[in-house]
Amino acid sequence: MNGFVIAAIAMLIATIPCGIVVCRGEAMAGVVAYEAISSIVVMVLVLLSEGFRRSGEFELPVVFAVLLFGSGLVFARFMERWL
Amino acid sequence: MSIRAILADILLALAVVIVLASSIGILVMRDAYQKLHYVTPAALVAPFIVGLAVLAQSGLTLDTAETGLALVFVVIAGPFLSHATIRAARIREKGDWRSGAGLVHGSRNGSAEDRP
Repeated sequence: MNGFVIAAIAMLIATIPCGIVVCRGEAMAGVVAYEAISSIVVMVLVLLSEGFRRSGEFELPVVFAVLLFGSGLVFARFMERWL
Repeated sequence: MSIRAILADILLALAVVIVLASSIGILVMRDAYQKLHYVTPAALVAPFIVGLAVLAQSGLTLDTAETGLALVFVVIAGPFLSHATIRAARIREKGDWRSGAGLVHGSRNGSAEDRP
């Protein structure tokens, strides 16, 4: 287990407070926490790919980062009026 | 342990501290407006530091380029998402994002009937 894997585990632990906000906070606060979790998960995927030295898995965070943008905008748009 | 590995570990520790502090800030702050301030370090600063750590560890490789691409998407998306989220929060609260728009339609809270 190298530094990258340890950092990935620590960042996953850091999503727990955000998860509490998603589950127990009000709706807009949940969206904010969701955006933070998405950013953290992209970093976790990068760190795990580097930590385990798997070159093929570096494409996963790229795809996830693109989806993060779209999903965040969809949530924000729906939260404006419909949810 | 090489100097590159030590540098990478220092950068990773810094990124983890930033992400942990941001996450606790999101938990502790009161409303969405305040919580949103704590997303920025996790969405802008920490990805940049993680990218530097990968660069320090691996050098200029295809993996580093893909890491940079992913983290550039995160860094670009962050401000747009923050703006969209704060706009949505204001529309939810006031009925319109423009200043004083809720008052024009007769209600400060901007209920669904008041919206244009």
